Amino acid sequence: MLLDSAPPDGSAPRDGSAPRDSTRPAGAPARASRLLDAAYRIGALARHNATLRLRDPGQMISYIVMPMVLMLVLKPLYVRAVDGGAAQVATGLMVMFSVFAISLVGNSILSERTWRTWDRLRVSRAPAPELLIGKTLPLFVVMVVQQTVLLVYGCLAIGLPVPPNPVYVLLAIMIWAFALLAIGALLATVVRSHGELSVISDVGALTLSSLGGALVPLSIMPEWAQLAAHVSPGYWALSMMQAAVRGDAAGAVPPAVVLLAIGLVAGAFAARRLARGWGRGGPM
Amino acid sequence: MLVATDLVKRYGTIQALDGFSLNVAAGEIVGLVGHNGAGKSTFVEIVSYLIRPDGGHVTIDGRPPSATRGEVGVAPQHIALYPSATVREHLELYGRLAGLRRAALSEAVEDLSTVLRLGGIMDRRAGKLSGGQQRRTQAASALVHRPALLLLDEPTAGADLETRQAMLDVVKQRAGEGAAVVYTTHYLPELTELQATIAVAQGGRVIARGTCEELLKDLPGEVRVTLADREEVSVSTSEPTVTLIDLLRRIDRPISAVDVRNPSLDDLYRSLAVHDAP
Repeated sequence: MLLDSAPPDGSAPRDGSAPRDSTRPAGAPARASRLLDAAYRIGALARHNATLRLRDPGQMISYIVMPMVLMLVLKPLYVRAVDGGAAQVATGLMVMFSVFAISLVGNSILSERTWRTWDRLRVSRAPAPELLIGKTLPLFVVMVVQQTVLLVYGCLAIGLPVPPNPVYVLLAIMIWAFALLAIGALLATVVRSHGELSVISDVGALTLSSLGGALVPLSIMPEWAQLAAHVSPGYWALSMMQAAVRGDAAGAVPPAVVLLAIGLVAGAFAARRLARGWGRGGPM
Repeated sequence: MLVATDLVKRYGTIQALDGFSLNVAAGEIVGLVGHNGAGKSTFVEIVSYLIRPDGGHVTIDGRPPSATRGEVGVAPQHIALYPSATVREHLELYGRLAGLRRAALSEAVEDLSTVLRLGGIMDRRAGKLSGGQQRRTQAASALVHRPALLLLDEPTAGADLETRQAMLDVVKQRAGEGAAVVYTTHYLPELTELQATIAVAQGGRVIARGTCEELLKDLPGEVRVTLADREEVSVSTSEPTVTLIDLLRRIDRPISAVDVRNPSLDDLYRSLAVHDAP
């Protein structure tokens, strides 16, 4: 239903544009075509959002540099206080500052509402899950890069043992980044302003990551705190990350499953909220 | 092309739409007018598939809005741009989301750059543009995929003369190519220039529909003659020219100014007893 776009025979438009809904071939080729179209739209959104992100890199840089400085400063304290102090300070601060990155995701999504651009995206062909993926994909890469840089730095400068199986570590980083993205997206769809988001993400990040043992080892925390730690995603992230760094696949799987579940639930909720335009009337 | 029948939408105690019906044919420009709160923007949001109606139904080219997602061009009333993205990046994003690729995308972007006079600002960020330039960028984003239905919600609000003229030109061009256009505005001269038919909305429904001539026929304009001693003679009339000639014949004192005002949208609203929504 566009002007001078698709030829009437149902083939791909002559102008190089993607086939329209009414002109798609039937069956498996149609499904493949729809998938390709979806991938193209997600790519367009990811590219756009990556451009925006790269033009405002301050927050990303601070979330990489700050933990590096802190690791260096706090390393002597951790090494003297607990066995495996170098691993604790490296993975703990890595988890803690990756939780702070929730605000990157939240602000990125919330800005769409401030700029009134979300409704412009909603009238496009891309359904809410595509919009969400396209929006968060560049941030996923940022988080993976952030955590990877911090772990490599931990190995080179802090004395974190080199992981025997880097694939485990990469998988753990990706799972944690996915869970954080989903939590950030969820937060963005329930808060009313950037100020609210800032309070929740900063205070929440500090509380949850501390409670999870990212700042102080769980073993020296009070018993109630050790029990309460189980409700913190930071606890599961730290368990998974430390197991992955040790090369302990069996130890990394249970926390990975918990984090994946958290991510899926939060992501589904966020997608649903976004599809409804943050509490406006739902789709017909 | 667009058939909306008996749309009903309520927000709490506010009845936004109350039996809103409007048909727009391919190639037709419909000027949707009415005071704030008349239901114009709610109607646009329902057709855009942003909100669902509580009652009634809409079809676009025989299909419901859910099936025409992305095929409608929407320029909302408020500016909705990414401050740190350039004009070109906006057009490319919305073009790609509509499925345009490579040569088709470049061609569409360049075409709009020319038609909407965006050439000099294509690589400037939206946040650095003037209000008129932002309006043109927003309109271009709605037009880039050459939609067969255009919903332009006050596209010239606060715009300068150049922007207004560019917008009118492109709307006429697209309608000439067969697009159906719903154009909400508060400016009657724009609708006259667009040769649009008019739909007057009040209280969440369309209460009058017709061409400018049909709706404004017999409505009084005003002839005002200011005398040299600053005394004013003002006459309400449906035949301003005849009245002016008559007045000039009868007044035997020096005249400093003459003002002839044709019927306006306000006159039309008054004649239809349209009032601001509560």
